[in-house]
Amino acid sequence: MLHLLKIDLKKLTNYRTFWVVCGLYFGTMTFTTSSGMEFLKWLAAKGAQLFGANVDINKIPLYHFPDVWQNLVYVSGFFKIMLGIMVVISITNEFSYRTVRQNIIDGMSRWDFLFSKIITNLLLSFFSVVIVFLIGLVTGLIYTPEIEFSNIFKDLSFFIAYFLEVFSFLSFALMLGILVQRSGLTIMILLMSRFIEFLFKLNIPDAAEGIKDFFPMESISNLVPIPFPKYVLMEIQDYVSVAAVFIAMGWAVLFNYFSYLKLSKSDI
Amino acid sequence: METVLSIQKLTKNFGKLCAVNQIDFEVKRGQVFGMLGPNGSGKTTTLGMLMGVTNPTSGSFTWFGEPPTNKQRKKIGAVLEHPIFYPYLSGQQNLELMALIKEAPVANITKVLGLVDLAGRRHDKYKTYSLGMKQRLAIASALLNDPVVLILDEPTNGLDPMGIAEIREIIKKISNDGKTIILASHLLDEVQKVCSHFAVLRKGTLVHYGPVDDVGKGEEIVEVLAYHDDLALILGSFQGAENVKKDLHQYLVKMKDGFHSQDLNRYLFEKGIVANHLVTQKKSLEKQFLEILAEADAALIKN
Repeated sequence: MLHLLKIDLKKLTNYRTFWVVCGLYFGTMTFTTSSGMEFLKWLAAKGAQLFGANVDINKIPLYHFPDVWQNLVYVSGFFKIMLGIMVVISITNEFSYRTVRQNIIDGMSRWDFLFSKIITNLLLSFFSVVIVFLIGLVTGLIYTPEIEFSNIFKDLSFFIAYFLEVFSFLSFALMLGILVQRSGLTIMILLMSRFIEFLFKLNIPDAAEGIKDFFPMESISNLVPIPFPKYVLMEIQDYVSVAAVFIAMGWAVLFNYFSYLKLSKSDI
Repeated sequence: METVLSIQKLTKNFGKLCAVNQIDFEVKRGQVFGMLGPNGSGKTTTLGMLMGVTNPTSGSFTWFGEPPTNKQRKKIGAVLEHPIFYPYLSGQQNLELMALIKEAPVANITKVLGLVDLAGRRHDKYKTYSLGMKQRLAIASALLNDPVVLILDEPTNGLDPMGIAEIREIIKKISNDGKTIILASHLLDEVQKVCSHFAVLRKGTLVHYGPVDDVGKGEEIVEVLAYHDDLALILGSFQGAENVKKDLHQYLVKMKDGFHSQDLNRYLFEKGIVANHLVTQKKSLEKQFLEILAEADAALIKN
C-alpha cells in the first residue's frame, strides 16, 4: 500500500501544477478560515446591525472552543473543489499522456493503479483535516477567553465528518475523471454537479422528500451542517448525524467501485 | 526448449470489426520472434492483450506456462506503438518511477541509460527529447528490470538509418544474452536480419508461422552471366533447368528438384563456358511475405 502511494506521489511531487494547486488550496483555506474575526470587525466598523443593535463582535464566539470546530470545518468544506480539480488533472493526465497504459504494461494491475490514486485521495483528505485542526487549535487558543480543556476536545467528531466530506468528494472527482477522461469537460461537470443534482431534486414530489438526503452531493454537504444561524438565535444541528455519515460512506465506496468497474472493463 | 508464451485461439472484436481472429502460436525461450503484418493487421492489438491493456474477447494465453498476472509483466520489458512517458519528468525520473512500478533496482537506471547513450541528457525533461531519443529511452525502460522477455513494437519507427542500425545492434546484443524477444514490425528487412522465427498476420488472422531459415528453402533460382552468344540455348539444354528467363543482361535459371548451382557450374565448364557471374538467389523475406499474403488473399476469395 505504501509502495503504491510512493508511485503516485512520485508522479505528483515532480509536477509543478500539483504544488501550485495545493498551495492555493491550503493558502486560501488558511487565510479565509483564520480571518473570521477580522471579517466581523469589518462588519462592525461598517455599522452592520443585528436585531436593531450594532453587532457586538465579542458576543459572537466564532472561534471559541468548541464552536470553532464546526465553524471552521464548515467553511473549509467549500475549498475542497480545488483539491477535486487537482485530482481530475492527475487522473486525466494519465489518460491524455496514455501513461495509464504504460503503467499497466509495466506491471501494475488495474486495481493497483486505481488504488494508488485512492490512497493519494486519503492522504489529501488527511492533510486537510490536519491543517484545519491546527488552524482551529491556534485560533481557538487565541480567541477563547477562558480555555477549558474539556471544551477543546469536544465535538471532534466534526473532523470525521470533514474527512469523509473531502474523501467522498475526491472519490467523486476521481470517478468523473475515469469516466470522462478529458480534463476540461471533467472539471466542468465537477463544478456543475451540485447544480445538476439540484435540477433533479426540483422534480421530486414532496411525498418523497426523504430521498433527497440520499443524493450524492447532498449527502456530502449533509455531513457538516451550517453552524452560523445559531448566532442569530436560530436552531441548528450541532452534531454529526450518523445516518449522514453512513450515506456519504456508501457513496464514497460506490464512486470508487464505479471507477474500478470502468477501469477493469475497458481497453486502455 | 521451454515455452515462454503460448497463445490459444486469442480473439478481439471491436464492435463488428474483428481485429484479431483466433490466433495460436508459441514462443520458446531464446527465440527472436518477429510479428509481421501490414499496418492494421492486429499486431499491436495482440501485444496489447498479452500485456494486459486490451481485454480479449475470447481465447487465452499463458506466460511461462501460467495464466497471466501483473507480476509476470514486471519481468517483461515492453514498448507498444510509441514511447509513453510523463512529459514533465526527466528521463531519469521517468525511469525511477518505472523502477518503482517494476520493483527494479535503481542502480539499473544508469546502466540502461548508458546502453542507449542517453546518460548525458538524463536530467532533461522528457518533452525536450527528439523522437530518436524518446525511442531510445523507451528501449532503456524496457531493459530496466533485466527482463526475461522483451517486446518491441516498431522500435525503429521514425529513426534515421544510423538509429535503426544502433537499435538493431542493441537487439542482437540482448538476444545474445539469451533473452527472448518479440518484435513487431512491418519492416521485413529488419525482421529478416534479427529474427529466428516469425509469424505473419493479415486482417487479424495468422497466415504463416515458422522459422526464418525456412524462407530460403524450396525452388532454387541461379543468376548466370557469361560472354557466349548461344548462352540461352546452352542453358536451356541443361537437364537440371526447369526454365530459363532473361533478366536484363543476365539469365535466371530455375532449377529442378535435386539440382543446385554447382551442377550448373560444372555443366557450363564442360561446355567450355566460364561464367562471369553465378549466384544462387536468396529468397528474401519480403518476397516470401508478399507470397504469403497473396496466398491468403487467394484463399479468402475461394471461400
